[in-house]
Amino acid sequence: MTYKIEEIDTKRIVHLNGEIDMDVADKARQTILPLIEAGHEVHLNLSKVEYMDSSGISVLIESKKLSEQKNTKFELVEVSKPVEKVLAMARKFL
Amino acid sequence: MSELAHTNHTEKKDFLVRSSSLKDVRSFCREVFEKLHIDQSLKDELVLAIAEAAQNIVKHAYKDSPDTEDKMVVQISCKENKLQIGFYDMGTPVDPGKVKHREIDNVKPGGLGTFFIQQIMDAVEFKDGKKPWINHLVLTKQL
Repeated sequence: MTYKIEEIDTKRIVHLNGEIDMDVADKARQTILPLIEAGHEVHLNLSKVEYMDSSGISVLIESKKLSEQKNTKFELVEVSKPVEKVLAMARKFL
Repeated sequence: MSELAHTNHTEKKDFLVRSSSLKDVRSFCREVFEKLHIDQSLKDELVLAIAEAAQNIVKHAYKDSPDTEDKMVVQISCKENKLQIGFYDMGTPVDPGKVKHREIDNVKPGGLGTFFIQQIMDAVEFKDGKKPWINHLVLTKQL
């Protein structure tokens, strides 16, 4: 998994790329959570993510929860088809 | 799904029990499902279910042995339109009664992988592992 962070004023757009599984979930977590912790509004672009499993969904849930605690925004701005499918399945559960 | 998916076929491969092996598990499954001509949508779901089951071995059966040199085996069989995926490992014995997804009103991510497996597959069965194996999980799906 690779990532790129765009800075627009206080907003941070995080672009993740590749496959997000248990092996790289910590890397994704350590990329996103500090930005939210610092009070930034984080927009996550997953349009280049080819695969995501429950570990990746966990990172999204943790990010959302932290943003609520920090009174900031965490949003998905674009998702790939494989990610949309996993999110749809996860929504039945969450 | 093509009629070629009805072909009887079995393949197995072993993997080090590490999170870094999960990518290889997915690649192996994709290769086998390509040979079986399983359509892309179902293939994606099956790969997810298998990867989640393999992840559970790394995360739970080997929770206390992150640097193990043990291997897990993934076996994919297709016979008479029935896909059967077997997982073998030598980790901590799994208590099937404790393997369940969490309650729906408890908003935590844990258990989501098990939920995915149950959503995608027709049956999830824990069998007694025959030596040298400790755990033997079988996932089945009617094609």
